[in-house]
Amino acid sequence: MPRRPVVKKEYTLGERVYLVEITKGLGLTWKHFVFNIKASFRKGPHTVPTCWQYPEDRREIAPIFRGAHMLMLNEKGQELCVGCGMCAKACPAKCITVKRGKRQEGEEDKYAGKTYCSTFEIDMLRCIFCGNCESACPKGALVLGPGYELAEYDMESCIYNKERLLANYNEAKAEGKLKPPQKPVPVDAPPAPKKKPAAKKGAGASAQKAKAPPKAEGKKGEDDAAKGKTEEKPAE
Amino acid sequence: MADWQIDLIKVVFIWVWALLIAVVMTWVERRASAMMQDRLGPNRAGPFGLFQPLADGIKLFTKEDIIPEKARKILFVLGPPLFALPAFSAYAVVPFGDKIVLGGKEIILQVSDVNIGFLYVLALGAIGVYGMVIGGWASNSKYSILGGLRATAQLISYEVPMGLALLTIVLLYGTFSLREMVLLQQGTFLGFLPNWGIFKQPLGFIIFLVAAYAEANRVPFDLPECESELVTGYHTEYGSMRLGLYLFGEYVNLGTLAAITVSLFFGGWALPYVDMSKFLGPVAYGIASFTVFFLKQAFFLFLFVWVRWTVPRFRYDQLMGLGWKALIPLGLVNLFVTALLVQLTI
Ligand code: SF4
Ligand code: SF4
Repeated sequence: MPRRPVVKKEYTLGERVYLVEITKGLGLTWKHFVFNIKASFRKGPHTVPTCWQYPEDRREIAPIFRGAHMLMLNEKGQELCVGCGMCAKACPAKCITVKRGKRQEGEEDKYAGKTYCSTFEIDMLRCIFCGNCESACPKGALVLGPGYELAEYDMESCIYNKERLLANYNEAKAEGKLKPPQKPVPVDAPPAPKKKPAAKKGAGASAQKAKAPPKAEGKKGEDDAAKGKTEEKPAE
Repeated sequence: MADWQIDLIKVVFIWVWALLIAVVMTWVERRASAMMQDRLGPNRAGPFGLFQPLADGIKLFTKEDIIPEKARKILFVLGPPLFALPAFSAYAVVPFGDKIVLGGKEIILQVSDVNIGFLYVLALGAIGVYGMVIGGWASNSKYSILGGLRATAQLISYEVPMGLALLTIVLLYGTFSLREMVLLQQGTFLGFLPNWGIFKQPLGFIIFLVAAYAEANRVPFDLPECESELVTGYHTEYGSMRLGLYLFGEYVNLGTLAAITVSLFFGGWALPYVDMSKFLGPVAYGIASFTVFFLKQAFFLFLFVWVRWTVPRFRYDQLMGLGWKALIPLGLVNLFVTALLVQLTI
């Protein structure tokens, strides 16, 4: 696009006298002033529209909000985590430490799998809340929950241990803030064959075709992102 | 009651009143600015955050009082009081009400009716600038000295139009006393307008108002402070209650300027068209006149805040240009025309 030449604006007399313009500006601020004064007399929380009065007045978070982690239990109250360490591998900040333990006799109602995690630590100081651990977990055992008040008085308490992560789950469950059950990822056959030739053609493919695969991938949702990557790898 | 007792009461009253206005103004400024910018402002301390100034005061008092090593100690200490005291003193000639009859005695609601009334105000305004310049100089810091320099230059450029605007008022009323001026503004002008200075001297009013903003270092003319260029200008190096005194003096100054504006251009304590003294008792009349004066003053105080959060700061050359190329010629023309009209009508 050709650049338009800069034309210096000639001011009219009214603009140069400045007082008229100031009066207009005063009118604008007055409008805001009156609006906000009226709004602050409204009943209920969150009165001035742009401000949340934090401790009393909390923001509604989205159902897929990525906050403090929780270790999930299934309907029978068993721990889902099998201690495989996939989450620790996937974590870009290297902040998860998992140790695996074997399930003993008589612990069947405690752990869902044959193995479990004997320690599970997340260093919340390093976590970047990317959610990779959640999507990497094959059992859906680690989920980023709704909690966002993560301030602590010392560094040690920022390292969340297993008890804390389980407590996070129980808390979220009690408040009814668990994520809605995720839809099973559709194994949609049609985009897959299309994708492969497009990727194989590589640089020779037209712009339109090159655009197609990311779109298809986007439809599958964030949960599938990790899988999508592994699928793509051979194609690349 | 002896006369000196009455005087003392008046002095204490107006002193406390000025303080109170300044304190509440800090709150009003913060809350009103918040409302204009779709924020909330300080609303935690007390109802509507009204105790916020108190909390700020306590905070300022308990802070460490630092005098920079390279500062000129005596001048550094002298700066803030020199700025705040004239602001308070200017209240002495403000006629904040007509008169009140207490205990069979007629008391004029003005600390003293000096016959050179507003020359005194102008002089004190000029002394107040010394507080800034001395503070800026004594801090021995580049930001402070620049702030002080700007304060001087700004004062020199804006005292002149202000003086010219006031001169037209003197020509009009033929007196220097603020109380007499207010008394001369009773009744109506041209049959339907209240007999106020603003209708007789609209141009003078505008010049005076603009110069008043410059005098008080308020946005759009807050060049001596100018956060974006000079940190906070002349009081950069100040902390604790010395800084508090500067900030406080500014609000007292606003109160004075608003009061002067009201008594020169808006009929002081009188309501337009209505003569309150006719149907109110002597005590009630005193209180009513004071209330009317205060309401008018409050409007101008709010206008200070309102303009501050509307208009951006002037550039330095624009400030000087406005002062010397626009306001002074306008003031001179206005003075000339007024002098001509006064000469012709007398
Ligand atoms: S959210 Fe990201 S950074 Fe945080 S623990 Fe999970 S993978 Fe690591
Ligand atoms: S949370 Fe999931 S990925 Fe991590 S160790 Fe447990 S089962 Fe494996």
